[in-house]
Amino acid sequence: MAGFGSGSEIASVAATATVPITAPPETPKLPPGEWVKANLFSSPFNSVLTVISTASLGFIAWFFLSFIFHPIRQWNAPATNLRLMMTRAYPEEQYLRVWACVAIILVLTGMSMAVWRAGSTMPVAGLGRKLLTTGALLVLLTLLAPFSTGATVQWLAAALVVVAIGESLRRIADRGEAERTVSTLTLQVVALAGVVTSLWVIPFGHHSYIPTRIPQVMEEPGTVALSTKLPWTIMLAIVVAAYFGGALLRDRLAKNTLRVTLVLLWLLAPPVLVYLILRDPDFDMGHVIGTDIPIFLAYAVLGSALLLWLTRPSTGEIGRIVAAMVLVAGFATFLSPMRMVLRLDMLLLAAFALAAPTFAGGSRSRNRYTGAWLLALGVMSWLITSVNTASTVKVPGGFFIGGIAITFMVAIFTIVLSVPLGIALALARTSTMPIFRLLATWFIEFVRGIPLITILIFFSIMVPLFLPRGMHLSEVAAVVIGYTLFSAAYMAENIRGGLQSVTRGQHEAAEAVGMTTAQKTVFIVLPQALRVAIPPLVGHCIGVFKETSLLAIIGVFDLLYIARIVIPGQTEFMGSARESILFIVPIYWIFCYTISKASQRIEQRTGLGER
Amino acid sequence: MTDATTTEPTGGHSRDLSGARDMIVCENVSKWYGDFQALDEVSATIKEQEVVVVLGPSGSGKSTWIRCINRLEIHQEGRIVVDDVELTNDLRNIEQVRSEVGMVFQQFNLFPHLKVIDNVSLAPIWVRKKPRSEAEEQAMALLERVGIPEQAQKYPGQLSGGQQQRVAIARALAMEPKIMLFDEVTSALDPEMVKEVLDIMKALALSGMTMMVVTHEMGFAKEVADRIMFMEEGQIVEEGTPTHFFENPTEDRTKLFLSQIL
Repeated sequence: MAGFGSGSEIASVAATATVPITAPPETPKLPPGEWVKANLFSSPFNSVLTVISTASLGFIAWFFLSFIFHPIRQWNAPATNLRLMMTRAYPEEQYLRVWACVAIILVLTGMSMAVWRAGSTMPVAGLGRKLLTTGALLVLLTLLAPFSTGATVQWLAAALVVVAIGESLRRIADRGEAERTVSTLTLQVVALAGVVTSLWVIPFGHHSYIPTRIPQVMEEPGTVALSTKLPWTIMLAIVVAAYFGGALLRDRLAKNTLRVTLVLLWLLAPPVLVYLILRDPDFDMGHVIGTDIPIFLAYAVLGSALLLWLTRPSTGEIGRIVAAMVLVAGFATFLSPMRMVLRLDMLLLAAFALAAPTFAGGSRSRNRYTGAWLLALGVMSWLITSVNTASTVKVPGGFFIGGIAITFMVAIFTIVLSVPLGIALALARTSTMPIFRLLATWFIEFVRGIPLITILIFFSIMVPLFLPRGMHLSEVAAVVIGYTLFSAAYMAENIRGGLQSVTRGQHEAAEAVGMTTAQKTVFIVLPQALRVAIPPLVGHCIGVFKETSLLAIIGVFDLLYIARIVIPGQTEFMGSARESILFIVPIYWIFCYTISKASQRIEQRTGLGER
Repeated sequence: MTDATTTEPTGGHSRDLSGARDMIVCENVSKWYGDFQALDEVSATIKEQEVVVVLGPSGSGKSTWIRCINRLEIHQEGRIVVDDVELTNDLRNIEQVRSEVGMVFQQFNLFPHLKVIDNVSLAPIWVRKKPRSEAEEQAMALLERVGIPEQAQKYPGQLSGGQQQRVAIARALAMEPKIMLFDEVTSALDPEMVKEVLDIMKALALSGMTMMVVTHEMGFAKEVADRIMFMEEGQIVEEGTPTHFFENPTEDRTKLFLSQIL
């Protein structure tokens, strides 16, 4: 093979690229007085605008502050009902389970942040300026708020501390030659530590119901209850420890293995947390050993044998016919009465069998594919068993949990389930096969034409009536299915936009190297399409999270329902709806803002290749 | 590809390929876009190791023709047989032909979300079912061959046009094809990058690859081609060796074309 191409040419190109570029001239910095003049009072019209908008902003702030700090506000209503808003009537003696769930999520969060290198750095000087602004704003708000003299002094003192820290940071930053930076993660941990410390130090008061025959509200002076501040302190320690643990693993293990494991754990977490830990299924071991495990083993052995054969490259065309027959058998199981788990396992096996030729190859890839089958089968079998088992957590009124926990549960299950369904619908709608295209188009257009509330009501009331005899579906599960279908239709349209942005050249290049349609879709088209679809998809996910509040209409005790109806209905807190609703506004906002920020980071990361 | 020693190093058109077997056979291939006839009964046979350059004004059907050879376009009449496999609607035949025919495009069409090394090794791993380590080793060897091993961990967007086109050639070669199709591969390049791509194509021709090249680079055609085909309005108007084509064209249309470009 004759040597060709010349490395030296390329080296010279690379060398010219690294020549240092002369820095552009710095924009001169204006002193504050001149800056104000140049930007806020440059013309009479501009001055009028500045005065009017400042006045209206001040008025709005004053209005809000006097509302919030008015003496008749019953802020002890949300304070006393914090537990109700988090989990509704989940039994207090089992609360360790809730904390275990939070801890598991935090461990995964901390490790993921380390493995994906979350966070960035910001200059200390910038941080100082931010604190100065915050302090100034705090002073302004304190003067506007209708505080008593004592409170005003306290708030002003707090503002002064903030200003002092900001100013000293600025000085420290100016002293050094090189620009000092600080990690945003450190800042977040410091801020969280401050909040947790405040639980131990500041007398928020110990709010609780006294569990006697007639419930009474008790408010003790002092800090919050030990059962609140101790767990939160432990949680903070756990997330920090998980971050450093993740950093250790990141440096020791292969990057991809770690990432794949974490993604799998994240996907496994919701069912494990809800169905195993929070719900505490009352397993009937006789039934489990006598029925569930044998069914699993039978499918595991026979299915693995089938898949090992199907993934052999020499199997060829007969394999596709067998896979299609498994699918037909899967549908045929619905014709005769049998356990639902048998049918679902069969359909899962059919899906794996149909995809098998794509993953055909050497013994390693065949074993890996069979391993994936065993994992999926195991998770599904366990999930079906635990969903069909009664819960030991007995609470009045239907589902065992409520409040923000159910808001999260419905939102996460809906999002996680509707992403693959949305992708499938989008692919079907853009497919060349008319029957798929037609079905997907009809489904999407139909679902998009119905209000969400209609779908939720339909699934909560009607669907349980259509179920075959002996099959039970809890209302929440029915609603999640309906919400998933609704959300998937919208996601499909977002993803279709992404699919259309992948150029024809990409399809041709993938075809020209001999990829099958499935390979082309998985490796070339979808990664590019999904990246384009990230902003609308995240917007949709935020919408899904917020619109879980519609669940209140069909009687699910979600966060908004508790704040709007349950708390103001308590005899002690009659008419406290405004306080409770104002209280949950920042809760919703924090989570939506976090999702939005995370998506911006993902966009930056995935945009790397297209500079 | 490996029998570089058996080919003569003096350039394509002095070779005697009469005994070689047929790699591509086209018989009366016709194609229409709506009412517009893009290919009009094109017939040609391309031998193993032969380098054929297709010339012609834009819109003459030369790109359409070579895109028909790996079924990126579907011909409506006639037969196309590639390495004894006829292109029909049978998916297995199409996949077999595509894995034996490498193609390089005018717009590079690298996969922007994959690193250079993954661009090259993806198809061997998933289509040829090679173990990842072996495929990556081969990809590095190919990148070395096209002169850019140091760019392996970069994304295509960070490379110059000429470098991207060389990656595209490496990607096609990674499938160990028997035939390479080049569709105006230098047309989208800055002039100073054309040479680096043409040099690689020349070396590839010398190594004994069967090649079909659609191009406007007359120098390349003269130097490397075994045979030149001139297309006009979907037909092959004239074909012959470079000497014949550039020095004694028989058709008036060819003479007009040559007078306009030379």
